[in-house]
Parts: sequence; C-alpha cells; structure tokens
Amino acid sequence: MAPDAASIPALTGPRGYFEDFAPGALMRHARGKTIEPLENVLITNMTLNTAAVHFDKALMKDTPSGRRVVYGGVTASLVVGLSSQDCSEKALADLEITGLRLKSPVYHGDTIYAFSEVLETAEADRADAGVVSFRHWGVNQDDVVVCEMVRRCLIRRRLGAEA
Amino acid sequence: MLPPPLSDAPLIPKGNWFEAHALGRSFDHHWGRTIRASEATLFAALTLNFNPLHFNREAAAADGHPDAPLPSTLVFATVQGLSVEDLSEVGGAFLGIDDMAFERPVYPEDTLTARSEVIGLRDSRSNPEMGIVTWLTEGFNQRGERVVSFKRTNLVPRAPRTQDTAAQGVPA
Repeated sequence: MAPDAASIPALTGPRGYFEDFAPGALMRHARGKTIEPLENVLITNMTLNTAAVHFDKALMKDTPSGRRVVYGGVTASLVVGLSSQDCSEKALADLEITGLRLKSPVYHGDTIYAFSEVLETAEADRADAGVVSFRHWGVNQDDVVVCEMVRRCLIRRRLGAEA
Repeated sequence: MLPPPLSDAPLIPKGNWFEAHALGRSFDHHWGRTIRASEATLFAALTLNFNPLHFNREAAAADGHPDAPLPSTLVFATVQGLSVEDLSEVGGAFLGIDDMAFERPVYPEDTLTARSEVIGLRDSRSNPEMGIVTWLTEGFNQRGERVVSFKRTNLVPRAPRTQDTAAQGVPA
C-alpha cells in the first residue's frame, strides 16, 4: 500500500509524540552539519540581513578572526533543525524560543552538533496535543558550546494521532 | 588606490550608532519580504528541519493548514534580517534574544514586515566605546496581524567622537 501523503503517523517515526517526552531526558542528536557559505551567505542574503560581516570576505580580512562570522539566525535555525527529528518531527507548532544565546562565534567550515534536554511537559489548550519545553545546545567540532536556547513546542499526542 | 573620480566619491553610510537608539524610539523597518514556497522549502531542507508540516503540503492540509507553514526559524530570521540595517548593521556583538513568541502561522506568499522599539539602554561596563540596547521587535503579515515578537539585546558602537554624527547617517 502506498504511504499516506497526509498522515503524520505514516510519514514519521514511531516516537516523538507528547507522551514520549519525560522531563530530565537528555538527547545527543545523531547528525552534525558543516556550515558553509551555502547556509550562511544564502540564508543571510535570503532574509535581507544587511550586515556585511556575514558575507563580505574582504571586509573581514583585517579583523581578529580574519573571517566572515556566521549569522546567529543560521546557527540557531540549524540547531533547531539538527534536533528536529527527535524533538519536533510531530510538532504542530513552535510556541516560543527564549534564552537564545550565542556563546562562541561560528565560522565557515565549522561543524555543528545538537543536544537537547526535556525541561518540562504541560497540558495544552487542545486535547490532541501537549506542550514540551526543550533546552537545545549547539556544539562545534571542538566540543565548544556555540548556541543555547529554550524552546516550547506544541506536540501531538499519540492518542490523538491514533484516534 | 581607487582611480579618480572614484577616489572622490563620498561613502553613503548605513546603519545607526548607539546614540540613535533613544528609549521608546520606534523603527518601521525597510522593504518587507514576501516569502515564496520554494524558499520556505529550501530553508527547511538546508537547516534539516525534518517536520513534514514544513515541506509536505498534504500533511499540512490534513492538519487544517491552507499550505505548509513556514518553519518558525525562517519567520524569525526574516523579521530579524529586515531589522538589521536600523538596529545592528554598524556592528557589536549579539547578546541574546528572549521571549520570542510565534503567535500565528505564516504561509508561502505571505508578506512579512518588521518594526522595533527601543525598550532598554545601558552602558557597557567593559567597553566604553559600546552601549547595550534592547529592542522589542515585531513581525507582521500583510493583514497587519502580528506573527512573531521578541526582545533582542546587542552591543552597539557609539558614534566615533572625532566625526560628525550627522555625517555618519544617524537619523534625527
């Protein structure tokens, strides 16, 4: 039988429902991704971010790092992405991000890995979903934390998905 | 060395020094941005945002959406991007974002605009050439509905003392 193009249970993994998240659980997400101009310059320019420190190589030549700095919106978006299959594959919506900090600069060629902790789970204002708070960390290839945030997602319940 | 007459061309400066950020001042940011479906899909794919809601229209429709909603990270990055020239293009480290609320979904072909207000000002104890500014930045869709809001704090360089700030493009 062909997969159902509209059914989240058929399209996604067996875990990741609201019921699967226990406060205190730590996750090391499997994949990393190397940030290149493909990500940094493309997304900086796509979002009309005019800060040339992100896209003018010559401008940065005489600065202490000598390199373009990756736009924090790219790093944060990648950390959310790297954690997504384990944390928000079944999310109905992102509700909030807070405590977003960039702890160390990211440059082209750096590889980012993500870790998450389930901070809290709570009822939502709809019966088929609940709210999960995660802390996400982005770490580079030298095990230096480059990004931290707390994110609240509305995540469907297994019960709702099977009903 | 630039050849004449290029060597005589005055620089047209961009951005705002710390002094431009008076408490309560608001900025209606330039341009606006219509997000196309292919861009939302590209962004989700490039950032490995693996929730089918963001790139499978049929799955999104089954959840009651008219189209695949944008990743919230794209909504945030676009609204922040629109704010950069007014707020942070002149440089200064990012210190943090707090209380970012995603208030309603954004869909392909929606047009985002951005506005910010200065809600906090202080001196940098470690760097007298910088000040610290906090803004409330808000993003709106084409119907004027707020889709995202957040508080961003940055170090912002003060105007160089030797130069006339008016010539540096600091708006009144």
